[in-house]
Amino acid sequence: MTREISVELQDVVKVYDTTKVVDGVNLSIEKGEIFVLIGPSGCGKTTTLKMINQLIPHTSGNILVNGMNVKELDAVELRRSIGYVIQYIGLLPHLTIEENITFVLQLIRRPKKEQKKRAHELIETVGLPASYLKRHPRELSGGQQQRIGVARALAGDPEILLMDEPFGAVDPLTREQLQNELLRLQETIQKTIVFVTHDIQEAFKVGNRIGIMRNGKMASVGNAMELVKNEDEFVRSFVGQGAIFDALDNIPVKRVMENDIPNVREGEPFKLKTAMNGWENIIVLDQNGAGVGYVSLEDVGPDGVIPAGAVRPLLPGCSPDLSIKKAVEQMLYGGRTWLPVASPENVFEGIVTFQACAGLLSREAG
Amino acid sequence: MEVFADAFTYLIARREYVLATLTDHFMLVIWATFFVILIGVPLGIIISRTNRLQELVLGSVGILYTIPILALLGFLIPIMGIGTRPALIALVIYGLLPVVRNTCVGISQVPAMTKEAALGMGANNLQLLFKVEIPLTFPVIFAGIRTAMVMTFSLATYAVFIGAGGMGSIIMRGMRTYNTGMLLAGIIMVVITTVLLDRVVGFIDNRVQKKFSLAD
Repeated sequence: MTREISVELQDVVKVYDTTKVVDGVNLSIEKGEIFVLIGPSGCGKTTTLKMINQLIPHTSGNILVNGMNVKELDAVELRRSIGYVIQYIGLLPHLTIEENITFVLQLIRRPKKEQKKRAHELIETVGLPASYLKRHPRELSGGQQQRIGVARALAGDPEILLMDEPFGAVDPLTREQLQNELLRLQETIQKTIVFVTHDIQEAFKVGNRIGIMRNGKMASVGNAMELVKNEDEFVRSFVGQGAIFDALDNIPVKRVMENDIPNVREGEPFKLKTAMNGWENIIVLDQNGAGVGYVSLEDVGPDGVIPAGAVRPLLPGCSPDLSIKKAVEQMLYGGRTWLPVASPENVFEGIVTFQACAGLLSREAG
Repeated sequence: MEVFADAFTYLIARREYVLATLTDHFMLVIWATFFVILIGVPLGIIISRTNRLQELVLGSVGILYTIPILALLGFLIPIMGIGTRPALIALVIYGLLPVVRNTCVGISQVPAMTKEAALGMGANNLQLLFKVEIPLTFPVIFAGIRTAMVMTFSLATYAVFIGAGGMGSIIMRGMRTYNTGMLLAGIIMVVITTVLLDRVVGFIDNRVQKKFSLAD
């Protein structure tokens, strides 16, 4: 399957004075993917990002955005067509939140009415109340400012978003929340996102593909699993020890969920002929389909009657979108080898087992 | 105390003349401030872009600022003669320093990140200047304008030496005629109006600083 290429870098070089900051980078970023650029400081990742919208002009090579050479485009027009998110200090402090969100629309002189409408849409998209539109950036927390930064980048409805360490300036809890929100948002907006970070866990979590840079060169490109099994010494040391576990952070539980699990409604007898699929427990559901407990097949009476005392409590159900890393963590903390999976409406969907998670790990990492 | 009574009698009796000098004085300062802003703000912006020009211009403006006003007025007479025009030029020269310096310092202190954010979103150079740099620097520029305005107001008292009128005329006449009442009347007028002007502009300045206060 050939996929559409949004951004392409061909042998791109950036020279400052006499140092090559970016040294012959080749890269194809597909439409609709989140591509993460990562590497130690000074590796040229931010420079690479800023060359895409020509905030930094490149010395040689070609950069194509939607098939067009950026050198042939007007730099100002190019930047207006690409969303740009930087650390939260990038909000303009003298403007209200509404004026910040619509900044691009002001630059291209869209009608006031349209600007207002768009600001209301976007603040809802990033999950903040419309009353914040009248505030100033300093009246918002770091995480809220960062959400506004994302909203602002989306104002002109660009196909491509450039994000330069967007969550670098917020606390770890907020950062995780923002990462989740970005992933959820991306499901609906489907933008091509180039994302710079120095945090490998963040890269694994948000990136569909990750490019590791070193001394201005692209050391390795691949998805999280491919990077984890990379033999290159630099990539290994950069990715680090716990990497294989972190790499599971972007794989949702639904990939390994087992959904043919025998179950029974509360108060009803269990049909003894039900195929067990090698499973020894029966999930007990209430009238709404929510899991209330489980019972071992051995404890079921001869008529399929379930003795009240035999039902054991379930661990809290996890969402099918929870990452495998988190699911395994919950298993370890809960002292079980499996977790029930429940829809957002709390309807039982299946279970995820430790074995299935481990199986995936060995399959993906080959 | 008699002299105060004389001064007030004078102010009331010659109120039309006093008012006329006050108007002249104000017009001189308003025009001077107008030209100071017209020249000083763009000059400050231009020199904020290049370090070498910055040293040169701030240095020259600083030297002009240290010339005693009487010397400067005397210097202007052979070139421009007497009247309002040379007086105006002298006042503009003195007012330039605070405005040029504040504009330049303010613009150079706009954080690089903020400018980059605006450029990254597609602002062109003019939009960067008018939508980001000037609004962000406005409180600093305004503080410079305040200093320039109050300073030229008090310096405008000397304009009488070059035939440009203003409230200095009352003081001059009082001195020439040994009329202490009149002399004091002029002084009172100058002091009161300068303090009032400073208060009024200061009030506006506070409002500006509050409205634009950007502490993060």
